[in-house]
Amino acid sequence: MRALKTRLDDATFDLNLAPMLDIIVSIIPMLLLSIVFVEITMIETPIPQAVEQAVAAANEKNKDLVQVRMAVAPDKSVQITILDRGATKEYNVAAAEKGVKADLDGLYSQVMNIKKEYPDVFRLELNPSDKVPLDEIVEVMDAVRTTRYVNGAKTKVSFVDSTTGKPVETDLLFPEIIFGNVGG
Amino acid sequence: MGRSRRGMGRYIDKRIPSTFKIQITSMVDMFVILLVFLLRSYSTSPVQITPSDDLTLPSSSSITAPEETLKMVVSKNGIFVDDKKIIEMKDGVIATSDVDENDTQFIRALYTELDEQAKKTRMIASKNTELEFDGKVLMQAERSLPYELLRKVMYTSMLAGYSDVKLAVILKD
Repeated sequence: MRALKTRLDDATFDLNLAPMLDIIVSIIPMLLLSIVFVEITMIETPIPQAVEQAVAAANEKNKDLVQVRMAVAPDKSVQITILDRGATKEYNVAAAEKGVKADLDGLYSQVMNIKKEYPDVFRLELNPSDKVPLDEIVEVMDAVRTTRYVNGAKTKVSFVDSTTGKPVETDLLFPEIIFGNVGG
Repeated sequence: MGRSRRGMGRYIDKRIPSTFKIQITSMVDMFVILLVFLLRSYSTSPVQITPSDDLTLPSSSSITAPEETLKMVVSKNGIFVDDKKIIEMKDGVIATSDVDENDTQFIRALYTELDEQAKKTRMIASKNTELEFDGKVLMQAERSLPYELLRKVMYTSMLAGYSDVKLAVILKD
């Protein structure tokens, strides 16, 4: 019995973890140097491949017909002007707090209504006032770029692809935002 | 009793080696957890931000990864192109001497630097067919700066051939 116990004791062994530890200790400083706690992204259009051509075709078709212009005033109100084949429509979204905060919820509702009327327009010309700070411009751009989440899923809007004639569903509202007043 | 003590002595002799061993299993466990966390946070992003009081990027829901383009930083203290200070500013205000007299939107020193960069890229593109000048510039701008200043920067960039200005932002949670 004692002989059996001794044999069993001999059968156990210690795994040599020292080389593994060496590797880990070498990797950790390298990873520590490249660690990021804040993720930097870029404002551009995340257009899905299937929708991209339809959006490009719709933009090309509407380029000279429908133009959506949005101005952000110093009092944080937003004016939306639509030039539709010579006719002009104007909408105004008052500030949530005058001179302090834009009404982003109101703006989103207004933009959704415009989108229902012009589902195949994706380009928007943004004309902020000189005194508006960058973070507020970015907030306004975020509000009109894509639809919002409702019950864990993004609201979808549909438009007809002019090249195929088939309906296309997307969560994009006005992904192509250009600064219209840069040139003067 | 004496026999059992002799047996215990042999057992101890057998079990305790003469050399000393450190128990590193728990340490390896800890390192593996740390390694997983670090690998998740690993980034190879071309945009490097050095935290400072005069440069806080705006937050956005945009998820587009930044591209490897010419980098321009507009902070409260100045305008930088590829880490080179081009314009000195104080609290986000540009000196009137840095702006063109006839065109108040035009920042001459910035134009000179961007034009130089554009010429350099075009020259490289003429030798290397894989590279082309696409006029893209990634602008890292302080969130509190007024559009007035950013408009001047974008206008000058546009004249220098960099008409595709992209804004660097921090991904909103």
